[in-house]
Amino acid sequence: MPDTVIKTSELTKLYGTVVGVRDLELEVERGEVFGFLGPNGAGKTTTLRLLMGLLRPSAGKADVFGLDAWKDSVAVKEKVGYLPGEAALYERMTGIGHIKFVANFNGNGEEEGFNLAERLELELERKVQTFSRGMKQKLAIILALMKNTPLIIMDEPTNALDPITQKLLYDILNERRNDGATILFSSHNLPEVERMADRVGIIRQGTLAGTERIEDMRAKRLRNVEVIFDGELPAGLALESLPGVTGIETLGNRIQLKLKGDINPLIKLVAQYDVADFSVTHASLEDVFLEFYEEAGVDTGGSSPEGDAP
Amino acid sequence: MSRTVFNKIVSERWRGTLVYALGILGYLLMIVAVYPTFKKTMTAKSQLLKDYPKAVLQFFGVKSINAASFNNYITIELLGLIWIVIMAAFVIAWTRAMISGEIHDGTMELLLSQPVARWQVLTSEGTGLLVGIVSLAVVTAVGSMALGAAFGAKVSYSGFAVFLPLGIALGLAMAGYSLLLSALVNDPRRAVMASAGLTLLFYLIHFGGTYSKVIDKIDWFGIFHYYNPLATLDSGTVPVKSILLLLAFAVVGFGLSLWVFQRKDIK
Repeated sequence: MPDTVIKTSELTKLYGTVVGVRDLELEVERGEVFGFLGPNGAGKTTTLRLLMGLLRPSAGKADVFGLDAWKDSVAVKEKVGYLPGEAALYERMTGIGHIKFVANFNGNGEEEGFNLAERLELELERKVQTFSRGMKQKLAIILALMKNTPLIIMDEPTNALDPITQKLLYDILNERRNDGATILFSSHNLPEVERMADRVGIIRQGTLAGTERIEDMRAKRLRNVEVIFDGELPAGLALESLPGVTGIETLGNRIQLKLKGDINPLIKLVAQYDVADFSVTHASLEDVFLEFYEEAGVDTGGSSPEGDAP
Repeated sequence: MSRTVFNKIVSERWRGTLVYALGILGYLLMIVAVYPTFKKTMTAKSQLLKDYPKAVLQFFGVKSINAASFNNYITIELLGLIWIVIMAAFVIAWTRAMISGEIHDGTMELLLSQPVARWQVLTSEGTGLLVGIVSLAVVTAVGSMALGAAFGAKVSYSGFAVFLPLGIALGLAMAGYSLLLSALVNDPRRAVMASAGLTLLFYLIHFGGTYSKVIDKIDWFGIFHYYNPLATLDSGTVPVKSILLLLAFAVVGFGLSLWVFQRKDIK
């Protein structure tokens, strides 16, 4: 098996004049967990559908395991477990019916499907039309994972899942990663991507703003820091001299600032004074996007004049 | 062909097909039960029919004024119009579900994320539709013969036997263009309306041909030009040319549907 599982070259999808993705260059290595991060309408779903051969590229190409995702889509899908963004299932079919249906295509996976249903505590005897949204999502996840494929592609996998089921899903995906599976998933939830992924790709307006290893991203991640001093603000507090500190705002004995990079110098500095409270919040997804777009030189002002991707 | 897809479509639609079949049988029972009474008043009816405008008689598929014959009676009451409506409703509902409905419901994404080719999906579901059309045609032909005989009618067995391929060919021709519209139009409601509208247009062209020679010249373009149930029942010979031309509609429609579906974005 090739080391590069997914490779796209100048991959472009246009819906009339609307850009789905444009000139996308993406590589995902074998055994990697790759998080595809972006706001709604950025082109995440379009990219995943192009990889699954559900959409025909307008230009460029997408290879999965060295196979053309559009022309060799049947061979590709033998190796991929796919979770769509919206779990659309056959309403009149039961959970068991769905598992047998998918297993019949692949000649295996039925037993694994039932095992996963047990772990996710999903009742399979009922017809899907009686399922809640969360139950439908669980069943769709089971259908994507039951084949034990070497590549798993998931579009916003934790949609509609409660926190306990989210944790279970993370555990299952970790097991699959340990078994050597490659995982590509999309999300607009930064903590989820940080938790799961080895590497992240950030997309907006159909363009890949950049890819980054999670540990590198953490190292230069923006944090919002608030320090409340006990009593008056200390005189001669030289916060602006610290590396990575910007946006300092003072209000009485309270200081708010943005910090990029190592937090230890800041902690050491404020620890010299009496501190009433010290809080750190992670930068918002928007802040992370802005960071990436500034680096990539992507226009961040409003939506694309060509419209948002579906 | 994919057996899994075929089994899925059959399990989804067998109940609906059964309802259609039972509906045809129920309607047949109702009209055939009235036939003996109708036959007694045949003279009056024949006279009445003679007074009808030719175009109205053609609208109901009547080509000769022999109201007493079972063939004529079943053509007026069922095969000339009602059966066409039933078959069109059955075929259009099925073809809607095959492409535009499944894309609209989102289940096409689930189906095509399995290792199955698009042509396999279409041929498998198309085979299911073929089974459905054959079933309804068989129920119609066998039901007409059995109930006709039970109620003392003089049944043309050979006529109903040769109606069978003609009826199947008509259903398949409808399926051809309906499937193409289902592949072309993303909104399933619009696909249904377009298919129903085209069927009505074909029928109106056929009907209008009796009034206008100009319209009559374009009647060959529509499927009903090749569907003459009374002549088929009366002659008892297979209308090979008509059947082949109806099948040509089906093959062209299916071929174009496949071409469109192979290139279609599943969104």
